[in-house]
Amino acid sequence: MSRILKSREFLVLLLLVVMILAVSNVNSAVLRPMTLINIVNSSLFLMLIAMGQMFVILTRGIDVSVGAIAGLSAVIFGFALNAGIPLPVAMLAALLTGMAGGMVNAIGVVFVGIPPIIMTLGTLGVFRGLMRVLTGGSWIESIPHNIKSLSVTRIFNIPMMVWGVSALVIIVAILMWKIRWTRNFYAVGDNLDGAYLLGINTRKTRFVAYVLAGLFSGMAAIVFVGQIGFVPMQTGDGQELKAIAAVVLGGVSLMGGTGTVWSAVIGALFLTTVDSMMIFLRIPGSWNDAVAGAVLLIVVVLDYLIRRMARNRLLAARSSEMLHGEDGTKAQTLEQTEQRQ
Amino acid sequence: MTRFGWLKSWEFMLLVALVVELAVLGMINPAFLNVQNLLFSTSDFVHVIIAAVGLTLIIMTGGIDISGVSLMGLASIILGLSFVAGAPIWLAVAVALGVGLLAGAFNGTVVANTDVNPLVITLALLFFYSGLATGLPTLLDMLGFKAYNAGGFEAYQYEGINGLPKSFTWFGTGRLGWVPMPLVVTIVLTLIAGWLLKHTRFGRFLQLIGVNPEAARYTGVPVKRTLITVYAINGFAAAVAGLVLTAYFTSARSDLGSEALLNIITAVVLGGSSIYGGEGSVLGTFLAGLVLGFLRQGLLSLGITSDVVPVIVGGLLIGTVAARIGMSALQRKRANRAAYETERGAMAAIGE
Repeated sequence: MSRILKSREFLVLLLLVVMILAVSNVNSAVLRPMTLINIVNSSLFLMLIAMGQMFVILTRGIDVSVGAIAGLSAVIFGFALNAGIPLPVAMLAALLTGMAGGMVNAIGVVFVGIPPIIMTLGTLGVFRGLMRVLTGGSWIESIPHNIKSLSVTRIFNIPMMVWGVSALVIIVAILMWKIRWTRNFYAVGDNLDGAYLLGINTRKTRFVAYVLAGLFSGMAAIVFVGQIGFVPMQTGDGQELKAIAAVVLGGVSLMGGTGTVWSAVIGALFLTTVDSMMIFLRIPGSWNDAVAGAVLLIVVVLDYLIRRMARNRLLAARSSEMLHGEDGTKAQTLEQTEQRQ
Repeated sequence: MTRFGWLKSWEFMLLVALVVELAVLGMINPAFLNVQNLLFSTSDFVHVIIAAVGLTLIIMTGGIDISGVSLMGLASIILGLSFVAGAPIWLAVAVALGVGLLAGAFNGTVVANTDVNPLVITLALLFFYSGLATGLPTLLDMLGFKAYNAGGFEAYQYEGINGLPKSFTWFGTGRLGWVPMPLVVTIVLTLIAGWLLKHTRFGRFLQLIGVNPEAARYTGVPVKRTLITVYAINGFAAAVAGLVLTAYFTSARSDLGSEALLNIITAVVLGGSSIYGGEGSVLGTFLAGLVLGFLRQGLLSLGITSDVVPVIVGGLLIGTVAARIGMSALQRKRANRAAYETERGAMAAIGE
């Protein structure tokens, strides 16, 4: 229990609650259930691509093409629906597009050895360009209306989409907890060579991470099209950086090996909530990015300061133990403290 | 290096690539090879080169700063706002450049004093600076300043700030002899950055930090001071890029340059810098920027839509890095082979 309380996810969740309560002092409309549901609803897109991003960053990679993959998947999804293909098949097409995009990244990063940021920055341009070439630069409109039923239908006043994504989050969390293989993501990100020597198939693990990022971007595309009912050219524009910001905010380290699904979920919720709170505080929307950036910077720097303090305290404890221990036990104490770490 | 060793250098290959590119594009479309047009078309993309030159110095240290694209817009809007506030244009320019320098120094301070990945820090600051750039005009409205136009300062965000004096826009539209001013500014900055990197102790420090920051610290390199300085230089370069673009468009806008990130990083990497640090060339970045820019202009002149351009730029970025990885693998194989042969020769000699 105390581990949960000390975790970064919890810290950010706490900040989120404090922020909502603080704003409710100024404008009590914030606390209406409808408002909160709407915030969750509008965070779904970011949440999904952030979840995909999380797998890649766990393995110490980075994927800046997730927004572009989502855009491309949305275009394919829109084309499929307009061609009269039944909804489930169109969804499958969107997901496959996402996975194919992820696979391109995976091949470049894992098999050719291109640094992840370079590879995915390249595919960001490629996918985004492809999206414009495919559509000729115009929006895809006149998508059959039944697609919107997904987001308009509400169960207990909560949109279907929210239920769906929540179920997905819980399933992923359970899978990450129950399936031993998913530990490989952490092992590979924490120490690639060590994981290799342990007999983990590091290539397969990293490959799967990029494909998963693509798959989740495909899901995000479905949610996006379902919510707005058409595909604008800006679909997913700049979202890749937001997704990275969300997972980092939630406690995923770019150095790999730390973070959970909840990091992505809470990070995405936090960033979306910041945007909404600005509206309730009547601050112009043009300040959104400044606030989000400042929050991200403060959280990562605070996190560093806390870690440094913990480390310094540990070192101080160790040194005082060494100074006060008797000569004969000095070596032993050092050994013990090192083991305790 | 032998007498003709420079023929094998990456910069020379880029020069060859540039010439071949111009020749091929010229063969397809002879009108493209008009020297004057060619020179003037550089004004469309030199802001990428200016920002990339600054970034090259940072990438030498193994760091990265992606917030430069936001600093371009921030510098531009600060120049515009200072100008409409009544500051003389030289003061407005100084303020904008100063903000770029300070913002960069701030990035460097955070990077140097924490162990947080520079990508994360500058990602946060990318959002922060771009938010600041779009938010500033509305802040002035909220503080009760009076703008001269009807929509208040907020309108500047959509319309941009026009009416900048000729003495300033000359830096974007004027020329020195045959050479347009933006290109002159770019060349001057490239020369300065190249000199810094090759011929000063500071440049050596940058490389040392990139190769091994720990070793650099133990050999007495002032790591923190060097990092803060280099990030400040990058911020300054980004601000210059923003102002050149402002002068060229004769309008100050907060969203200038926001599309340039892919191109900037492509120019740096295509120019031969290693993203892991310790290896880089300002001249390479400059040439790569020209190759990329002319490629774009050439494709557009051939009637290819601008939608396809990012596909080609992205493909080029991936292709270059893949080719370099392949080349170094081949070299390693050859070196191993040579070492094996010498070893065998030596063993045979002992056997006799």
